[in-house]
Amino acid sequence: MLCIEAKSIFRSYGNVTAVDGIDLSVESGKIFGFLGPNGAGKTTTMKLLTTLIPPSSGSITILGIDASRHPLDVRKKIGVVLQQPSYEPTLTVEKSLEKYGMMWDVDAKTRRKRVEELLTAFDLQDIRKKKNDDISIGQRRRVQVAREFMHDMDLLFLDEPTAGLDPSARRGLLDYIKGKVRDGLTIFFTTHILEEAEYLCDEIAIINRGKIIAVDTPDELKNKFGREKTIKIRIGKVEQDLSSILQEVGDYDILHDEGTVITIHSADSEQVLVKILQVLQSNNITIEDLSVVPTSLEEIFLTVVKNSNESNISSGK
Amino acid sequence: MNPIFRLVNRNLTISLNMGFVIWQVIFPVIYIFVAGFAYTALIHNVPFGSKSLNYPAFIASGMIGFNIMNSTLISGIIIWNDRRHGMFEQILVGPFTRAQYILSNVYTIGIIGLVSAGLITAIGYPIFFTSVQFSILTIPLVVFASMTGAILFGSIASIISTRLKSSEGFNVVINTVFLFFAFVSTAFYPAQGAPPILATAFYLNPLTYLVDVVRAGIFGNFTGTVGYEMVVLTVLAVVFFVIATKLLSKLEL
Repeated sequence: MLCIEAKSIFRSYGNVTAVDGIDLSVESGKIFGFLGPNGAGKTTTMKLLTTLIPPSSGSITILGIDASRHPLDVRKKIGVVLQQPSYEPTLTVEKSLEKYGMMWDVDAKTRRKRVEELLTAFDLQDIRKKKNDDISIGQRRRVQVAREFMHDMDLLFLDEPTAGLDPSARRGLLDYIKGKVRDGLTIFFTTHILEEAEYLCDEIAIINRGKIIAVDTPDELKNKFGREKTIKIRIGKVEQDLSSILQEVGDYDILHDEGTVITIHSADSEQVLVKILQVLQSNNITIEDLSVVPTSLEEIFLTVVKNSNESNISSGK
Repeated sequence: MNPIFRLVNRNLTISLNMGFVIWQVIFPVIYIFVAGFAYTALIHNVPFGSKSLNYPAFIASGMIGFNIMNSTLISGIIIWNDRRHGMFEQILVGPFTRAQYILSNVYTIGIIGLVSAGLITAIGYPIFFTSVQFSILTIPLVVFASMTGAILFGSIASIISTRLKSSEGFNVVINTVFLFFAFVSTAFYPAQGAPPILATAFYLNPLTYLVDVVRAGIFGNFTGTVGYEMVVLTVLAVVFFVIATKLLSKLEL
């Protein structure tokens, strides 16, 4: 079943087109990553999907409900953690959670139980009596994310939820989210931290200049756009000039440090590696270490966005 | 629970802190018991309709209107804080509509306005009880003044909170506007005897109408002029409420 289905959605602000005819399909029970450079249209898309703003044209169906016609019905079934901080400065951490649950009409008994669970799960027990105004930005962010789990929902939108969190809090949050997905929740997730998207997401869409330029699983994106691999070979000290020895191979870099490291960047890295190994063996050069650096999602992201920008320039857009 | 009541519950929880309660009680008490009695040496009696009130009774009744106005500042502060701290958007991506958000603010200021009026009436009663002339109109007039005054001044505070972006600007404007309302009115002194320009200025100020209606209820002085003031108060409350609602509805997300 599709949780989110957006067809040809456009959104303009004056002469500026923030979202330029995008289509999205997100299946239930999945974590869908939404990536893009600053100003690409991520937040506008998020606002459209959460019914904060209407599209200029196109249709959005959330959990089977027409979002343009019944926005309130959509909002009753979703949770949203916005990119910007949101908090009540005068309330304590535990009161914030409790009141947020009350706003969502969660009964008092369930509220009390969930407050305790979330204070523990988000490591907020020590600051439960502190006012939101008196805690750090990272702690406030944790409260903001925890608060959203006070109510039941079928779909959760997370707009850069780990911004301002330290690495351990970040990992804790990501693991908590994974657990919720195992329980059936669907997540629409935007982030700038591509390791997070790689760790968390079942499917990823990349948006640039208001258009979706790639959608697939992280592995498929790597297969499609990440054929170029990096292989590092550390060799012992050599008397010969490596450049002249490896001249016929091409497509490699040599970095000198204590030993000698040959870095291969190639779309055909396996073939290049075989050739280099043959040359090194024939010249009696010993190999101390060899490692393959997998293509990261970050490299894919940069490649896809760069290709998209170049194609826009060549087509005069 | 109805979504509006849930928002009212939240509004009251975030607004009613010790500082606000002290502000709402201490200031009027100082005005009534310090200024009221201190100025008695200068102002012996104040003419009010066919009556003559002593100054403490006059200012105590004026403080009811003053406190209703002051309490409605909370409406502007709630909206301002919600915008500043991201709760405005957060509420609107939740199970609420803008209309419910606006109505919850109206209910909140209505409740706070009524409680404030009751509180100051209780505090001021020992001062003005000798002049009190309760009638069948007393409670309706005080409640009417509390509600229309709360909506009117709450709307003004809301309008200011939607138009300004910096917290310094918000504080300066709201304090200046409410200072004008407080002191260029009949809350502290009567219009009779004031220089003509100032007396005219008093009647360009809705707090004067609010205070006059409250006094008419407490001191049993309902006249045609008071009826006219009630109409003006109602019209102003409706106009400012419509403007505030439109501005809130158009507030960009």
